[in-house]
Amino acid sequence: MRLELGKINISDVQFGSITKLENETLYVNKDEIISLIMQDDHIKHVEVEIAKPGDETRITPVKDVIEPRVKVSGEGGIFPGIVNKVTTVGCGRTHVLKGVSVVTCGKIVGFQEGIIDMSGPGADYTPFSKLNNICLVIDPIDELKQHEYEAAVRMAGLKVATLIGKAGKEVEPNEVEIYETKPLLESIDEYPDLPKVGYVYMLQTQGLLHDTYVYGVDAKKIVPTILYPTEVMDGAILSGNCVSACDKNTTYHHQNNPIIHDLYKKHGKDINFVGIIITNENVYLADKERSSNWTAKLCKYLGLDGVIVSQEGFGNPDTDLIMNCKKIESQGVKTVIVTDEYAGRDGASQSLADADPLANAVVTGGNANEIIVLPPMKKVIGMLDYVDKIAGGFDGSLREDGSIEVELQVITGATNELGFNKLSTIEF
Amino acid sequence: MKNTIITNNPKVFEGKQDKTDIIYLKDDSYLSVLLLARDKIHKGHKLLTHPLSGSVKPNETPYKSIIVTEKKKEVDIDSIRIIEESIQTVKKFLSTKKTPLWTDKILKDFQLIDYCLIQSAIESMTQF
Repeated sequence: MRLELGKINISDVQFGSITKLENETLYVNKDEIISLIMQDDHIKHVEVEIAKPGDETRITPVKDVIEPRVKVSGEGGIFPGIVNKVTTVGCGRTHVLKGVSVVTCGKIVGFQEGIIDMSGPGADYTPFSKLNNICLVIDPIDELKQHEYEAAVRMAGLKVATLIGKAGKEVEPNEVEIYETKPLLESIDEYPDLPKVGYVYMLQTQGLLHDTYVYGVDAKKIVPTILYPTEVMDGAILSGNCVSACDKNTTYHHQNNPIIHDLYKKHGKDINFVGIIITNENVYLADKERSSNWTAKLCKYLGLDGVIVSQEGFGNPDTDLIMNCKKIESQGVKTVIVTDEYAGRDGASQSLADADPLANAVVTGGNANEIIVLPPMKKVIGMLDYVDKIAGGFDGSLREDGSIEVELQVITGATNELGFNKLSTIEF
Repeated sequence: MKNTIITNNPKVFEGKQDKTDIIYLKDDSYLSVLLLARDKIHKGHKLLTHPLSGSVKPNETPYKSIIVTEKKKEVDIDSIRIIEESIQTVKKFLSTKKTPLWTDKILKDFQLIDYCLIQSAIESMTQF
C-alpha cells in the first residue's frame, strides 16, 4: 500500500459563512456544524467554540480530539466502517488539515475527564494546546443512557471532522509525504539484509467508555490481525476511550501515531518495517491469553526480528503488555515496550502493575501521578465544575482563585503511551 | 459448582444471573474485594478477570467486581502473581489519597462502569 499524505498548514481558524480554506485560514460555518450535529436526536444542545494557541482558555471535559482529513484519491473514505463505507483504506492520496482539530466535550459521567489548557504551565503537557481547536460541547436529551451519550458525542466529532476535512480536498498541500508498505514477501525481497520489524499496537477494549473501533468493529471482539500502517492514517482505528485522559489514545493520536511515523523514517535504512499487528486489552483473562498467544504467533509467522509494543491505559493493560512481551520474546523476537507510569507523586514507587525480566527494554511516557498547579483561565469551554471530580483531581482541588492542583492524569495526552508527548525518563 | 463474582457493587449484585454465583460485600471497600479474591486464590480458586479492570483508578472508584473459578486442586501461580501485584497497586494509590466521598450520582456512574466492565467479561465467558 502506498499513501501520499498531503499536509495543508493552517495557522488560524475563524467562523465564516461557508466552510473553506484560504491563505492558511480555515473558515468554518457554525450553523452548518450545529445542524449536522443536531441531526442526531440523542442530542439536545451543542455549543461550537474555537480555542487558539495562547488563549487563556481551558477546555474540559475532553472526550476526543480528531484531525480533519479527506481522501483525495484511492479507495474509500476517512473513518471506514463508521462515517464512510467499510472499504479498505490506506492507498492513494489523503489531505490533512495540519494545525487544527475537532475536540468533543461532554459530561458523560460525573468524573474522569480531560483538560486542555491553551496557555500557561498546563499547555506544555498537552500537544493539543498547539492546535486551533474547534470545540463541540454536547448536551444530551434528558435521561439518555451513558453509552448512548458517548456514542452520540463520538459520532458528532467524527462527522464534523469529516465535514471540515472536505475543505482541504482541492487545496494544494504545503508538503506531501509518501508512505509505502509492500506485501510481506516483496518487502523482504527488497531489503533482505535489514532486520524485519513490526509494531504490536494494543487497543483499549474493556467496555463502556473504554472502547476502540477498527473499521467499525468493536476491537474487544477481534482476534489480533494485521494492518498496513497507512490504513491507520486514513482513520481505520478510532477512539471510544474516554477514561484516563493522560494515557488514552484519542483519534488524533491514532491518526498521527508517532511510532508508525518513526518506524517509517527508519524503513529501508536501518530496518525493514513490515507492518502492524493490532490487538486488544480485555477484562477476561482468557481473552488476554488468546490475544497474546496470537500476537506472538503472528510475530513468528511474519518472521520478525523485533517489535515495538505499545500499551493504552492503566492497570489491567499492564498484564496484556507483559504477556505480549514475554510470549513474543519466547518466540525469539526482540521487544521494546512503550508505557507510562503511576509511580507515586515522588516517582519512587513501582510503575506498573505487572513486570517480567524479559521486559528489559522499556520506553516511558512519564509519571501520571506527578503534581501540577493549573492557574485560573479567563475562559472555560465546557464545564469547570467537573474538574474537581476528574482523575487525579483532589476533593477541594478547585481553589478559590480558580487554580486547580491536580496530578498529570487530568491532562489530555500528558503521558501518552505512543510517545506523542514530551515526557519520558532516561536511566543512566 | 459455578464461577463466582466477588463484588461490592450493588448494581452487579442486583443484576446477578444464574450463570455465576455471587458474593456481595455490601458497603465494603474496593481493597476488600481484592483481599477476598486473594484468599480464595490461595485456597485453589483461579482468577478469571483482571483485578484492575478499567482505567478508573483504585482511589477514584469505590467499586470492584472480580470473577474466580470454582476451587481447583492446585493453586494457580499466575493468579497469585496478578492478584498480589494488583493489591500492591491499590495500596499505592490509597496511600497517596483516599477515595473521595462522592455524590450519589457519581457513585451510580462508577457502579455502571464497573457493571459494564464485568459484563463484558461475562459475555466472553459464557458465549458457549
